[in-house]
Amino acid sequence: METSEATFITPVVPMDFTYNYRIGPYMTRYLEGFKERKILGSRCPACGRIAVPPRKYCGVCNKVMEEMVELPQEGTLENFTVGHVILEKGQLKAADAPYVLGLIRLDEKASLLLHRVEGVDPSRVEKGMKVKAVWKEDVEGDYGDLDHFEPA
Amino acid sequence: MRNVAIVGIGYTPVFVSKRRDVCIPEMISEAVENAFKDSGLTPADIDAVVFGNMQTFEGVNLPHLWSADYIASLGKPVMRIATGGTTGMSAFHAGYYHIASGLHDVVMVVTYEKQSEGDSQVGLMGIITPEIMAMLAAGIDVTGQKGMGAIGGGSAGGISYQASSYLHHSGAGIEHIDAIAAMERRNAAKNPYAHLKDPEATAEKIAQTPLISWPIRFGHVCPTSDGATVCILASEEKAAKLVDKAAWVWAVANCASDATTGNLIEGIITDPAEQMPAQIAARQAYERAGIEDPKKEIDYVEIYNGFAHQTLMFLERIGMCEVGEAHKLLEKGELEMSGRLPVNSSGGVVSTNAIGTSAMNRVTECALQILGRAGEHQVEKEVHKALAHGWGGLMQYVTITILADKPKKL
Repeated sequence: METSEATFITPVVPMDFTYNYRIGPYMTRYLEGFKERKILGSRCPACGRIAVPPRKYCGVCNKVMEEMVELPQEGTLENFTVGHVILEKGQLKAADAPYVLGLIRLDEKASLLLHRVEGVDPSRVEKGMKVKAVWKEDVEGDYGDLDHFEPA
Repeated sequence: MRNVAIVGIGYTPVFVSKRRDVCIPEMISEAVENAFKDSGLTPADIDAVVFGNMQTFEGVNLPHLWSADYIASLGKPVMRIATGGTTGMSAFHAGYYHIASGLHDVVMVVTYEKQSEGDSQVGLMGIITPEIMAMLAAGIDVTGQKGMGAIGGGSAGGISYQASSYLHHSGAGIEHIDAIAAMERRNAAKNPYAHLKDPEATAEKIAQTPLISWPIRFGHVCPTSDGATVCILASEEKAAKLVDKAAWVWAVANCASDATTGNLIEGIITDPAEQMPAQIAARQAYERAGIEDPKKEIDYVEIYNGFAHQTLMFLERIGMCEVGEAHKLLEKGELEMSGRLPVNSSGGVVSTNAIGTSAMNRVTECALQILGRAGEHQVEKEVHKALAHGWGGLMQYVTITILADKPKKL
C-alpha cells in the first residue's frame, strides 16, 4: 500500500506529577545530626564497618545496624573529580569555574562520603589530602547544612 | 522437573495507603525479615533472589539493585520480573523455575509496591502506551473531548467494557457486582494484611457509591496500597529438612492474547470479557496438575480482581463454574468462607492492591489456606488443592498457579 509522507501523529498528553520519596528513620537520624553539626553513621555489629550516611543493613554480613556513631569532621580525600558543568533545572550549563567533588573517608572503617571540596586549586588537588567539614552558619537539619569540605 | 515447596511467607505488618515512616528498601526488608522468621531460614540459606514490582510506578527503575542489601542478595544471583499486574505471580513462577530446573535449591521471591511514593496514573500511562497506539489504530480519539480518552488515564474507564460484556453474557446485574464487592470487604476485615476493610459492608452500601463508568462504581475498585510480600521456595529435598508441612506447587501456567489492545477490544476477538488467556492458562494448569474436574478437585480459589466483577467473571473463565453461574453461586452464599467454593477470603485485590504483591498474594493466600494458617479468614472446609489466578499485563495476560497439600507424584 502506498503511503503519503505524513504518516505520523503526535498525541500530546500533558502530565504533571510528583514523586513522594520517604527517606526513612536512618536518613532522618542523619539529618537530625546535622542540627548539632554532627556527621553520623551506623556500625555493623559483625564486621564493624560504618555506613555514612547511616543505613539499616550491612549487606556483607546481612546484619541490622542499630548502633549510631559520630564520625570525625576531618578525613582523607580518597578519590575525586573536577566538574566543569552544572545541572540547573534539568539543563547542563558551564560552571562558573572548575570545582572539586571528592569522596572522603572520615574513619578507616567508614564508607566514603561524597562532597564538594572548596579552598583548593582544582589543578593541585591530590588523593590523600586531609580535608575538614564546613557547616552553614544556620543549620536546620537539611542536606545543605553540611556545606562543603576544605583542606584541613 | 523437580517438586517445589513454599517454605516461608512474610508480609509487611500492614498494607495501607501511605507508609510515611520508611523508605522503599526499608519497607521491603520488613517482609524479608518476616519470611526468615516464618521459615526459620537465614540469608545464608538463600541461593538466589527473584524480585518483582510494577514497572514505572514509583519511578524507580532498578529497585532490586537499590534494595540489594535489604533483600539479602549481595553476592547472589538476582533478577527482576515485571509483567504488569501479574508481576507478583510471574516472579513466583520465576522462583519456581529456578528450583524445578535443578539450578537452585532455595530461592527467595520478593515483591513490593509503595504506591504512595509515585503516581499510579503516570505509571499506568507508561504501561498503556502500546494501547494508545492501538487506540489510534482503532480510530479512537484519545486526545479529544468525547470521553473516549478516559481509558488512557487508567484502568477503571477501560474495564467498564469488560464488566458490561460480562453482565450481558452472564445474566448477572450490577447488584451482583455490588454484592461480591461487599463480600470481599467483609472478608478483608478478617485479614490483618488487608487494606480496605468493612465488616458491615452490604451490597446496598456499595450501591450508594458513585458510578465511574457504568457498570463500575467506586465501591467496585481496588485501593492503591503500600506493602511487600516475600515467599521462600525450596526443592523437595531441602523442604523435607526445613519444614514439617509445606504448600506444594502442582502447576504453573500463563498466557497472553493480542498484545496491543487488551481489554478494550481484545484485538480481533472483540469481546473484552472473553479473556481467552484465562481459559487457556487454566486448561494447561489443570492438565499439568492432573486435574480432570476442577469444580470437584479445587477447594479454594484466589482471583486477581482489581475490579469486583472480575471475581465472578474469572471463576467462569477458569472453569470453576459454568458461564452464567458465578452470580448464582454468590446469591446462594457458596463463595463465602463458609461456602462450597470459597473465593478470596483474603478480601482479594479489590480490598488490597500493592500491585507488585497482588498476584503473589493470591499464591501466598492459597498456601496459608492449605496450611490452615489463615487465622480469622481461614475457610471452613478443608483445603487440599487451591488455585491462584493473576491478571494484568495490558489487561490481556493471565497467570495461574495450583498448590496442593502434598508433593506431586513426578
